[in-house]
Amino acid sequence: MRREVPLFITFISGILLVIALFIPHKPFGNLEQRFNDWYIIVSGFTMILGIDSLLLHHWNNFKRKREGWIYSIALMLAFFITLIWGFYSGIKVGSPFKPNSSFLKYFYTFVFVPLQATMFSLLAFFIASAAYRAFRARTFDATLLLTAAAFVMLGRVPEGNRASVYLFGIALLIAAIVLLLEAKERVSTFEKLLHYLGAAVAIVLIYVQYRILPSYLPQIADWIMNIPQLAAKRGIFIGIALGGIAMSLRIILGIERTYLK
Amino acid sequence: MTALSTVLLFLIVQFPAPPQNVRAYDTPNDAGNSITVTWDLSPDDSVVSRYEIYRSKGEPSVDSAVVVGSVLRGSTQFEDNSVENNVHYYYFVRAWVDTLYADSKWSAAAYAKPQWFHTGRKSALVILIFFGILLFYYLQKAKQGAELYIRRIAGLEAVDEAVGRSTEMGRPILFILGLGFVSDIPTLAALAILKRVSKKAAEYESEVIVPCYDPVVMTAAQEVVKEGYMEAGRPDLYNERNIYYLTADQFGYAAGVDGIMVREKPGAVFLQGLFYAESLILAETGHSIGAIQISGTTAVTQLPFFIAATDYTLIGEEMYAASAYLSKDPLSLSTIKAEDVAKMVFVALFVLGVVLETLAVITGNQSFHFLKNWFALF
Repeated sequence: MRREVPLFITFISGILLVIALFIPHKPFGNLEQRFNDWYIIVSGFTMILGIDSLLLHHWNNFKRKREGWIYSIALMLAFFITLIWGFYSGIKVGSPFKPNSSFLKYFYTFVFVPLQATMFSLLAFFIASAAYRAFRARTFDATLLLTAAAFVMLGRVPEGNRASVYLFGIALLIAAIVLLLEAKERVSTFEKLLHYLGAAVAIVLIYVQYRILPSYLPQIADWIMNIPQLAAKRGIFIGIALGGIAMSLRIILGIERTYLK
Repeated sequence: MTALSTVLLFLIVQFPAPPQNVRAYDTPNDAGNSITVTWDLSPDDSVVSRYEIYRSKGEPSVDSAVVVGSVLRGSTQFEDNSVENNVHYYYFVRAWVDTLYADSKWSAAAYAKPQWFHTGRKSALVILIFFGILLFYYLQKAKQGAELYIRRIAGLEAVDEAVGRSTEMGRPILFILGLGFVSDIPTLAALAILKRVSKKAAEYESEVIVPCYDPVVMTAAQEVVKEGYMEAGRPDLYNERNIYYLTADQFGYAAGVDGIMVREKPGAVFLQGLFYAESLILAETGHSIGAIQISGTTAVTQLPFFIAATDYTLIGEEMYAASAYLSKDPLSLSTIKAEDVAKMVFVALFVLGVVLETLAVITGNQSFHFLKNWFALF
């Protein structure tokens, strides 16, 4: 009975919402909105559980002097200061988020927003470190990724067209030198020829890209974004949509019960 | 404004031309109580400040007309959501230039009524019926004991390995559920993976830490982890304090989880659920502490970050398949099988569509558009 009742509620709610998707007429039409309203009301109360969990966790950290307990004190202090200041501003000017509220000015604008911006700005460094690992041309896939990324990045930045000529030129020159040096170490004549040919192609490409790349780079970048990139993205979207339907049907039919106790 | 100034204004500024072709009709695919009004822009739209929409009930009378709303210049549509069903209404539109205005002609009578079927969702209904039939077929096959083959998913195969490695290192396991709510399907899928992880962790006597973004998700996660420990026969190892609420602020959550990673140094980090801009901050911190990382999300914009920064990534639907894949339950697997067959049908349709449309362009024969035209019906 402990499982059957929630399963029955899930089944009825799920079926009703599927029907509501296709029938705009009352009482189905606004059913989704009503369910959302109920969810908001219920989740509002669970915030108390969240606060209880947060404070208890950090109180225990402090009490047992766990590693970093000092941060737990900082968190609890920040929590109560925010709460009291918010209430005080709310009572004084009507809302803590009014332009003349001290809470908005000193706490939200001068503390909270810069802290958020600091965390967000870390992303720039993390993108660089992740890109360094992802773009190391160790495998064919990584090389393809690196080439596509180079075209897109240079094709979408100001002066990227002109800079690309030198960047690709230098890259091709390095490739030609590496191939020539490698050719000396090869024993087989065929391999040597292959390396010399590769170096020659790289040198020819330096001239070709110098002549055509600045005019075509934005188009190449757009093509990569609009054709292969978008096709892959849509493929994933279709998979997600079908997976979503399958998962929803598993939940509605009671096959998927992980969320139940 | 005095009469003299009005006359002077009239001499300096011309009256605007009125909007044309005002049409009023029942708003389609709604629950009633709504009429949509459309019009052609005034030829003087560039100097018009706003359009006011007037409504008259029962008969077109200026005396009984009331303003129901106004829109800025360039707008050609207004939805009047304050009408009664099955009552006739007439509309006209007034174009304003400063204090001067011009009225359109009255629209024909229109009345609102609720609809019983959303015609814009015919395609969704067709897909749902088609998918339902496939699902029913494979459910029956599963009940009859048929073996259903599902391809290997590397990210899910690595779950046990990650838990084992973390245990060997004597470190806890960190499970990050992202910024989703319990009403989001990716969060439910992540909870299914959490159950498997906590069951394995209980078997290996390891610890699972779950910092949460939403208190409802926290409550659900506590139940799921408890259930996992109970299934493994080790309810004594379950510690509710390890599944706690952090914050409902995106970057506050990222900072908090990063702090946990650096302090606790988990051996395995699971990033499963809905993620946004914080995904790479979390994944890169996880990489910096040397943890084995398994990520999974349906947020397509975050997938490249996860692929670049974590060891295994569950892409989109692989995440949804996780609970069925891990449990090996035949009924659950049958839904994955139905999904795969549906996907193959769609791929075949796409290929056929591309071939037919290419042929139509090459030959100029319009009959090759039949598939495209058929889909246009939906």
